[in-house]
Amino acid sequence: MLSIASSELIQILRNRLVLVTSLIIPFAVSAFFVRQHETFADIGSLGYIAAIVLFTVAAFGLYATAVTTLASRRQNLFLKRLRSTAAGDSTILAGLLLPPTAIAVVQVAAILTALAMVAGGPANVALLVLAVLATLAMMIGLALATAGLTNSPEHAQVTTLPVTLGVIAVSSWVGISGTENLAWLKRLLPGGAATELARNAWNGGVAVADSLLLLAPTLGWVVVAVALATRLFRWEPRR
Amino acid sequence: MSTTPVIEVDRLKLTYGDFPAVRDLSFEVRPGELYALLGTNGAGKTSTLEVVEGHRRQTSGTVRVFGRSPGDRRVVRPRMGVMLQESGFSPDLTVRESVRLIGRLTRRSDDVDRVLDLVGLTDRAGRKVAQLSGGEKRRLDFATAVYGTPELIVLDEPTTGLDIQSRDAVWTTVDRLRENGATIVLTTHYLEEAQQRADRIGLMHQGTLHREGTVSELTRSLPAVIQFRLAEPVPLLPLPAAVGADGTVVIETFALQKDLHDLLGWAQDQAVELRDLQAGPTRLDDVFRAITH
Repeated sequence: MLSIASSELIQILRNRLVLVTSLIIPFAVSAFFVRQHETFADIGSLGYIAAIVLFTVAAFGLYATAVTTLASRRQNLFLKRLRSTAAGDSTILAGLLLPPTAIAVVQVAAILTALAMVAGGPANVALLVLAVLATLAMMIGLALATAGLTNSPEHAQVTTLPVTLGVIAVSSWVGISGTENLAWLKRLLPGGAATELARNAWNGGVAVADSLLLLAPTLGWVVVAVALATRLFRWEPRR
Repeated sequence: MSTTPVIEVDRLKLTYGDFPAVRDLSFEVRPGELYALLGTNGAGKTSTLEVVEGHRRQTSGTVRVFGRSPGDRRVVRPRMGVMLQESGFSPDLTVRESVRLIGRLTRRSDDVDRVLDLVGLTDRAGRKVAQLSGGEKRRLDFATAVYGTPELIVLDEPTTGLDIQSRDAVWTTVDRLRENGATIVLTTHYLEEAQQRADRIGLMHQGTLHREGTVSELTRSLPAVIQFRLAEPVPLLPLPAAVGADGTVVIETFALQKDLHDLLGWAQDQAVELRDLQAGPTRLDDVFRAITH
């Protein structure tokens, strides 16, 4: 797996388009939120900023990059080539997805650390870590499913839009308006419960047990996404 | 050497939707032999190889490689090198990085520089795959197939797109691998390559195996041909013959040496000049045409 991951990292670093999508866009957007934290804290809260930063990185840095990578590797038959070796399917996928995931983790950690330094840290770091991990797992699952519907890297620019814009919209909605109204709907939408969890973790004031229950919808989306991916994912271009 | 077949294909059927790509196909590949699977475009050769390689699951029938299912990658792949029909390398990786990556993943050990030297890509080692020519990409593909000297090598049209020098280099390497006991399965459109090198040949047409055997066994079923032109008409030829519109006399024979001897003796006795005389054994091309027409 590490051989595939290191070759994948080399490819990301050599491809300017992927580099911009996976590193620069999420970092620039997040830096804007951190810099304007007082304005956004007034609109929502610091927890909202943490959530929106998390979803910006997860959507652009991880999800869109992962879909583009998988579609590209399938289109040029690199996936087929890897399957000609002794590596198992799960090893191949893990190797391909490890670099964008690791980059996303580092980005989220760096940006949230910066937010903590300029605006004060989270009330519950462990809960925040859980929110980050659950969100990244959900986005990886959704990326595998979306990759099954994506024929080429160019096509990925279209197929990734619904999830990318959708989770950021849900995160903004839940982050700004809270869950006093339409709580169930907001929690069941992809990213809704994770946003509330990140908000609770940063702002505090909610019992940990209540917050932990918010993991369930996000993990549910992981299960749904993996089930879809199992049905939709293809290793070779359509014949 | 073990006599247990390296590859066993029994009543293989593979369909794409309603289209039967392979039908009721059975063959075996024995240890150490070079087995050539030949056929027209769309005959089902690559589909068959893809099942053998574990890339595709058969609709029905049984396929075993080293006695195992081809899908059992952890066990089968370290013993099996695969050269795909199409490249499948990342354009952003260099030649050396590509060979190292695929080599490591095969779980065979080898020296990357040795393999690059073997296929004549040493001077391209630092180049990105995107910068290689079509022939160089085929050589890169070949390099990953022979990395670590596997027991079984599957070559899908290995010399397509290669110049003569590169083709010779590929066959020299294949010969060397065979001397070490490797089993080779190949598809090719160059029939003369199969005729020269294959121990046995399977001729596929429309998804199924029409003939199988050594070159001699395959060509034995069709007559050899003697042909010539006559300077002047003769009342009677010594052998049954057909005369073409252009005056070429064609004699089909299953006893080439004897009939040719008789013909030359007759021509000598009768003082008949046989112009443009040609005689030769049946070629694989003829067998191939016979099953596809």
